[in-house]
Amino acid sequence: MWAYEKRLQFPVKIKKTCPKTAQLIISQYGGPDGELSASMRYLAQRYTMPVKKVGGLLTDIGTEEINHMEIICAMVYQLTRDLTPEDAKTAGFDAYYIDHTKALWPQAAAGIPFTSIEFQSKGDPFADLFEDLAAEQKARTVYDNLLRVIEDPDVRTPLKFLRAREIVHFQRFSEALEMTKNQLGQNNFYYFNAEFDRNHYKPEEHC
Amino acid sequence: MSLDNCCTSPGTLAMASFTMQKWCGLYDWDTALKEGTIFKELNLPIFFADKGSSNLNTNSPVSDTAQQEREKLMSKISAVSFAINDLTLYLDTHPDCPDGTPLFYQLSKERMDLLAEYADKYNPLTQLSMVTANLNDNNFAWADGPMPWEGGCV
Repeated sequence: MWAYEKRLQFPVKIKKTCPKTAQLIISQYGGPDGELSASMRYLAQRYTMPVKKVGGLLTDIGTEEINHMEIICAMVYQLTRDLTPEDAKTAGFDAYYIDHTKALWPQAAAGIPFTSIEFQSKGDPFADLFEDLAAEQKARTVYDNLLRVIEDPDVRTPLKFLRAREIVHFQRFSEALEMTKNQLGQNNFYYFNAEFDRNHYKPEEHC
Repeated sequence: MSLDNCCTSPGTLAMASFTMQKWCGLYDWDTALKEGTIFKELNLPIFFADKGSSNLNTNSPVSDTAQQEREKLMSKISAVSFAINDLTLYLDTHPDCPDGTPLFYQLSKERMDLLAEYADKYNPLTQLSMVTANLNDNNFAWADGPMPWEGGCV
């Protein structure tokens, strides 16, 4: 289960209203490589992982991604908190305003609603871990792109933190891959699917 | 599982091989939060990263010392808690690390005390800290204090 802690993992204190910036960073809330997608991906994959410690890592990183979703939401909220009717006409934010006013709603920067089609839970440890490694790289690229175009230091500071986390998570997933290879230990990693072929692999024997 | 065995042969075809991180130099906890990792070796910024950043604690006017004290304690909680977050992920893949495990216990104890101090002086951030701070059991203080996304008062 999860227990709420009444603070952000990284502080967000944005002084300047900017609906245009909100419109861009909302992608990391509900976009294809966003934090909601990341947390749902890892928390969905963990149940059937053949290596128990990898299931544990997916739980911990999936939990941290929820923290990151909250940071992004706080940023969107603070960027639009004092929105005036005139601000609401800002190109890019006007369509969002019509449907959601100042409320938070998970969507990509281009307006596509959050969808689980953006991530995969495949049921094969190698397919899923490579998906996770790729996900961290894609999210890192989004943060690079945001940092190139956003100048407000109050916005850049948490974005730089979030970008750094993608690289740390990439390292951890790469270590999870090594642990998985080590446990399944053989030359042909594709001889069976450790999440399905119980005649070849019994997870309970590796607890 | 021995970590020494974790790096499978890099010569294996049709499979990637990665390097297990070794315990390395750590930042102090304030710097670690700012940089996004406690591990110096994992801090890999992009070339334009330093175009601008803000101090994490620029919120209150210098004259408001009570608010400054409160923000100082919150910053300590953020820094220590983040160090535990990052350390936990490391220990998930390095459970036998003789350096990381004692540090985890030391930081967790520190965090518990800081959360109790914050609950005692201001408002609880976790329900458990309502107990460790010995708050008045006739007062349900969980709803006290600002919501985290408001930014202003933390």
